[in-house]
Order: sequence, then C-alpha cells, then structure tokens
Amino acid sequence: MKSMVIVMRDDSYDKILTPLVFAYLASAEGTQVDILFVNWAVKALTVEGAASLCMDGQHAADESMVRENVAKAGLPNDIYEILKALKASGCVNLYACSLAGAIFGVNESNLIPEAEGIVGASWFLNDKAAKADHCQYF
Amino acid sequence: MSEATVTSTLDTSGKCCPMPIVETNKAMKSLTIGDVLEIIATDTGTKKDIPSWCDRTGQTLLSMTEENGAIHYCVRKDR
Repeated sequence: MKSMVIVMRDDSYDKILTPLVFAYLASAEGTQVDILFVNWAVKALTVEGAASLCMDGQHAADESMVRENVAKAGLPNDIYEILKALKASGCVNLYACSLAGAIFGVNESNLIPEAEGIVGASWFLNDKAAKADHCQYF
Repeated sequence: MSEATVTSTLDTSGKCCPMPIVETNKAMKSLTIGDVLEIIATDTGTKKDIPSWCDRTGQTLLSMTEENGAIHYCVRKDR
C-alpha cells in the first residue's frame, strides 16, 4: 500500500487512538498517509484540544488503565505526542477541515505546527482521497 | 537451514502492535544488504505480522523460534 487516507470525526481519546495507531504503523512502512480532521476531531489539532482529550461515556472510568497500558505497549499515551511522532515520520500530513474549524474555533492562529493547514473538503476528496490506495473513516 | 550470523538484535519484549513492526522497519533501515536482524518479541500478533512484513518488503525470514514466551525471528536484509 503506497498511500492511505484517513478521515476522523471523533475527539475522545479512545476513538482517536485507533486511527492514529493505524497511521503510525502505515507510515513506518513508508506509506503516505493523509489525515483529515473533521467535526469534533479538529480540536485535536490545537494544543489545548489535544491536551483535553479524554475517554467519555461508558468507558470513562477506564481511562487511567488504558493510558497506562498504551504506554506499556510502547506507544506515547498522549495524543499530541503521537501527532508529533506521526509528523516526524515524514510520511503523514495532518489537515484541519475548514468547516469543522469554523464550527469549533480552530484557525491558523491556534493550529499546531505539525498540521499542514486548513483545507476544504473538495480539495481533500479530489486531490487526496480519490488518488489514495485505501481510505478509512472513523 | 544454516545458522545465520546475527548482525543486530532488536528486543521488542513487552511491546504490542504496532510497535514491533514500527521498530523493525526502523532497525532494518540502518542495516546493509546481507545483514541479519534478530527480532525478539512477546506480542503473539508478530507471528503473522513479521512474516507478512517480510513478504511485503522483500526481506527473508530465516528462522522463527519460540522459547519461554519470547519469539525470536532472524531476518536477512535483501534489499
């Protein structure tokens, strides 16, 4: 697989972890990964948003255990640290959806430096998703 | 199969998917063609992941043995 696109919409810790792990694995094998953060997920592309991610709902009580075991497995257990590692791989691009940014207050001034920028869906779908070998939606 | 001379050893004991593959990729890049990497893993998922990774990347899995809960793979860098 030479290229992969991931679209993420949720910002809770456990729901965002899986697609980021998939991206980390794919990038380690040299796959070009482009990730579009839509809806609530766009908040993860700010320092404050990434730091505030937590497990919610029925799994909230398990957060401490999950983070501990994620670290034991060898992964960073902080979302922003994972985003930094993805960027450092040289194979992953992080994009904020312009509509989601407008809704949730994410803009160029508070976007983390690891993100490529704020983009529209039309560009992402036609220039990235349509040309990728594989697409995943979370 | 003849005994291979291990050039480098990567111990991923205690780590789980995706880290054994992530670290194997990284370690292999630092080796030269003909070198042999020994990978030690305790994640049972590697029994499928590492042979599959070798197939995809064109490396040769020389051996896979299991002892005391640890799996040892010897992989020769071929490209």
